Amino acid sequence: MVKSFGYIINIGEQMLLSGAEVHRVEESISRMGYALGAERVDVFIITSSMVVTFHLKNGETYTQTRRIVSASTDFEKLHQLNELSRNICSGDLSEAEIEKRLKNISSLKRFPVWVEIICYSVIAGAFTLFFGGTITESVFSLLIGAIVRTVIYFSEKVISNKVFSKFISSAVITFLAFLLVNFKLIPDVDKTIIGNIMTLIPGIGLTNALRDLFTGDSIAGLLRFIEAVLIALAIAAGYFIVAVLGGV
Amino acid sequence: MTNTEILQVLSGFIGSLGFGILFNVRSKRLIMAALGGLLSWFLFIALNKVILNEAVCYFLVAAATSFYAEISARIFKTPTTAFITTSLIPLIPGSSLYYTMASAFSGNLELFVQKAISTLQLASSLALGVILSAAITKMFFKRTNIKTKTEG
Repeated sequence: MVKSFGYIINIGEQMLLSGAEVHRVEESISRMGYALGAERVDVFIITSSMVVTFHLKNGETYTQTRRIVSASTDFEKLHQLNELSRNICSGDLSEAEIEKRLKNISSLKRFPVWVEIICYSVIAGAFTLFFGGTITESVFSLLIGAIVRTVIYFSEKVISNKVFSKFISSAVITFLAFLLVNFKLIPDVDKTIIGNIMTLIPGIGLTNALRDLFTGDSIAGLLRFIEAVLIALAIAAGYFIVAVLGGV
Repeated sequence: MTNTEILQVLSGFIGSLGFGILFNVRSKRLIMAALGGLLSWFLFIALNKVILNEAVCYFLVAAATSFYAEISARIFKTPTTAFITTSLIPLIPGSSLYYTMASAFSGNLELFVQKAISTLQLASSLALGVILSAAITKMFFKRTNIKTKTEG
């Protein structure tokens, strides 16, 4: 039984890591806890830490804390974790089954890097058109998008830091865009940069941050807000450095 | 709709699809999520013809789009975030963020303040729209008591 409570916390942790909102994870953990016979469940989650206590009927308590690092959005994983959590709540899973399914979910593979490279490139190209760029600009954006994802891939190997990799990417985008203008291949940098910046900007992060704030998860919301602002500043810094050095 | 607008809606769709794959949304859910991107920009174009204020449009479109996301999430029994995150992609104020940055760089203070405020306005309209529709759907789909053994 006690083992199951450990699994519940693992499920919650994995949910948070794959991009679920704080509110949702807290609720899922509580539901699963009550379903497994806890008398009271206390959950406190911010984006970087979890504290969970289950009060059992026999008077014992079961507490764990988790430090959450480096979440990356993975909605397929989240979908399956959510399904597992539903099944636990309807009470038809044994301890061994929970363990087995959690193991399966943890070993789910993401798409390989080359798929992500194609995605970045297509997104950049599409948004260059979207914001009024020409076909030529869009084609160059496609190329830059692919380069950017490759740069991120290598920069993550050296320093695994989100803010840093955004800074580098933004600098690379700006540099390549100004280079293209220099060779008179595109009339101005704006549309090419905007298309590529769409893959970097923390728009969703900012929206989620504000959502957390408005729905009462103030600390989680503030942390997310600060992260979004930092990323925006990193992007701006990348742009500035190249623009200053290039003497534009 | 003009050609440019059709092009925008389509490229918004492709952009959303790309993000859907990046976020690892799979199977039918990916199509639904990407269609959300198409829907959101289509709604924006349509609404912007009547209401000229961009922030108000953003608010209404975000609310409508996340209503679509909430419904899809219930059909496919998956967390709403997967649909909201992907569908709202075309609404992300990427260009106003860029112009904020560019005007800060060129020292055009007036334009900088204007663009910075507009970026924040758009972002918070988005968030408010999402919250509004979350609140409304919560009213319609009453959730079971957290302590009973149903639904996750």
